[in-house]
Amino acid sequence: MTAGARPRIALGRVGPRGALGVGLVAVALLVAALAPFAVPPDWATQMDMTARLAPPSLAHPLGTDELGRDLLWRVVLGARTSILIAVAAVALSVAVGLPLGVASGYLGGTFDNVAMRLVDTLLAFPALLLALTISAVLGPSLPNTILAIGIAFTPFLARIVRGEALRIANQTYVEAARGAGTPGPLIVWRHVLPNIMPAVIVQVTISLAFAILAEAALSFLGLGTQPPQSSWGLMIQASRDYLDRAPWTALVPGAAVALTVLGLNMLGDALRDALDPRLR
Amino acid sequence: MTFLAGRLASMALTLALISAITFAVTNVLPGDVAMMIMGTQSNPEALEGLRRSLGLDDPLLVQYARWVGGLLTGDWGTSLVFKEPIGPLLADKIVASGLIVVLSMVIALTLAIPLGVWAAVHRDRWQDGAASSGALLGVSLPDFFWGIVLILLFARGLGWLPSSGFVDPLDDPLGALRHALLPSLGLGLGLMAHLTRMTRATMTTLLAEDFVRTARSKGLTERAVVWRHALANAIGPVVTVAGLQVGYLFGSIIVMESLFNYTGMGWLTYQALLNRDLPLIQATVFVVAAVVMLANLAVDLLNAAIDPRIRLS
Repeated sequence: MTAGARPRIALGRVGPRGALGVGLVAVALLVAALAPFAVPPDWATQMDMTARLAPPSLAHPLGTDELGRDLLWRVVLGARTSILIAVAAVALSVAVGLPLGVASGYLGGTFDNVAMRLVDTLLAFPALLLALTISAVLGPSLPNTILAIGIAFTPFLARIVRGEALRIANQTYVEAARGAGTPGPLIVWRHVLPNIMPAVIVQVTISLAFAILAEAALSFLGLGTQPPQSSWGLMIQASRDYLDRAPWTALVPGAAVALTVLGLNMLGDALRDALDPRLR
Repeated sequence: MTFLAGRLASMALTLALISAITFAVTNVLPGDVAMMIMGTQSNPEALEGLRRSLGLDDPLLVQYARWVGGLLTGDWGTSLVFKEPIGPLLADKIVASGLIVVLSMVIALTLAIPLGVWAAVHRDRWQDGAASSGALLGVSLPDFFWGIVLILLFARGLGWLPSSGFVDPLDDPLGALRHALLPSLGLGLGLMAHLTRMTRATMTTLLAEDFVRTARSKGLTERAVVWRHALANAIGPVVTVAGLQVGYLFGSIIVMESLFNYTGMGWLTYQALLNRDLPLIQATVFVVAAVVMLANLAVDLLNAAIDPRIRLS
């Protein structure tokens, strides 16, 4: 990479798995974004008491749940909540972790010591435990779920950004810019930020996968999304009592989570390979 | 020794920070501990009296000092839900959870290392494709989903293992193992997927290194090259990652123990969170963070023992 040049994403190198990942993520995002406009909301809430826990059929392609609601439409509309929470939570962790990590890595010294000691301590709390505790403390709701997952993921992002920023800050071209009298903020904007972006993009992709799993776990435990809102984790929770009679009530939302997270992980792997030439 | 002294000093500081963060997070709680003890119907004067006797009117800093003082002197308070002293309550649950954490770690490592090596040796062929795709699918499924599948398969379907409950290993070792097996598998499968990916990645890099070429060219069998030379160097990073996953496991056990009604730390933490049992939440969160920190120290020491190149300084 030439000095200060923006790293390019070598899309040609993404490969078949990466392409599959892009496809899966695109489908999940499209469904989440468009479903509320394309599907009448009452399709997912309409109860058919004559067809409770019905197996997949022509009328209900993925079967129905304990109240006779169609699982296909439930899972399509649940996508919006699950993906919205994941995206907002990761955005929150970037908004806090990115500036913190850059400042820590670029400035070094006491600020770095204090900030990273705090980050390392937060890392001793399992992310899921931290998210659950915050959610229980604030009272479970959609904004609080976002806040809980966002806070729990921030230390990971800050740690990775700090490492990258430190690496870039010691490069010759940054020293040269500093020697030429370029002001600090401009160096960060022009040289540090563009060069840490590949690592940030990879981490964001992986964090999105973890955030979807975290939302599912929180909702499964009753400390995430609350009814009447619907999410994939909540659907799996509701299925617990009907596992023997109607396993599809768990398998359908489980498959939705798995496919989305699988897509994000494949994309993350492919991006890491494409963006980081050292790993090839 | 100086290393250990330094680490212990640093640990004391981290523990102090952990206690401060735990206390800070849990004291945002809008709930009223006094009302939780006496019920919502109790008269306001009695509530006020209880609040005063519990010290809930004191400034937060005073309350924090009192809590830390209690932690240090072994007085961990009383659980509001279980009406029992927290110290002994925790001790029981830690043993129960320790059993499934160790079991799941053993399951994950014994499966992941051979599988990862197998994938790396057959890089870019069907064996690699199968192992890597399986591992990728494994890390993409929620842990509790594995738990549900295991219940359907081994408890409801085949009827081989119980799907819920905990048995004390001191009363009935075999029963304890039978009850611990499914939750451990649930935790272990997800972990195994992570570790398989890690082993494959490390081994792939190592097998391309010069010392491996040297070992091959001096006529060693492929088996000796892979298992004795390459794997010996891969074990360190794999053990490190496995150790760092202890934190991840302690997050996952909350879900898994609740699903299997396995009454360990995770189940206790969940009960504390659901019932807003403030003293118990503080104690469990603090203990889990402290255990994770100790696991990280153990990883460092273990690495130094495995790899003579690492000097602890």
